[in-house]
Amino acid sequence: MDSLHAIGFYVSSGVLLAGALGVALLPGRGQRGAALGVAGLGLAGVFLFLSAGFAAGIALLCYAGAALLVAAPQYRSVENVASATWRQLGAIGAAGLLALLAYSAFRGDFASATFYGGAFGVAALGRLMFAHDALAVEAVALLGLVALAGATAAWRARERGR
Amino acid sequence: MSAGLVQVFFVAAGLVAVGIFAAAWRRDLTAALAGIPLMFGGAAVALVGIARFSAAGGPHLFGQGFAVLLAISALALVALGIGISGREGSR
Repeated sequence: MDSLHAIGFYVSSGVLLAGALGVALLPGRGQRGAALGVAGLGLAGVFLFLSAGFAAGIALLCYAGAALLVAAPQYRSVENVASATWRQLGAIGAAGLLALLAYSAFRGDFASATFYGGAFGVAALGRLMFAHDALAVEAVALLGLVALAGATAAWRARERGR
Repeated sequence: MSAGLVQVFFVAAGLVAVGIFAAAWRRDLTAALAGIPLMFGGAAVALVGIARFSAAGGPHLFGQGFAVLLAISALALVALGIGISGREGSR
């Protein structure tokens, strides 16, 4: 990876982690949605500088959609039934996991290989997804269909009960 | 200046940890849902990094394909969670 790509990777990583922290810490829905959009932008940048242009485009679209959903003012708040102690334990567990993963990344001995794909690799990715891994793609498509149909059904049921 | 798989893993670890923190720390469940795309994004960053720096033999773009599927899955799960929580004005 040359210097230009490395700088782009680090800048995108900073944007990504800043957006992620905003999602975790900002109070308002609109602010959280905007932070998720910023995180999606950073994620797309990271993918782009890792020679995954097609994945960058898809991630940008999906995270923009998720950001709009999170920022929407129409849904109601659902309080978590877990006590503050459990939530604090979860936060401490997240910190412990971060330390563990960072230690593993730092101490790990990883194989290295030359990358032969292009900046986007759409054709190779299409062959992979629709020939080699077609079943996985169909499973995710089914998940998307069930999610959207379930969300619509739940939404309409609430509307009807009003 | 250069970047390698270790740096990619650091970013992925940070993203997964922040996503778990958001999901665990938020009192509002619909706000905690926003941690799901972050966790999935962390996994996707690690997979794309592996495809870029370490994949040899077989389908070397498998990580990129899986990252695409993870992004779509994250959006679907957020949509389902928001849809189940319902509209604010319905009660």
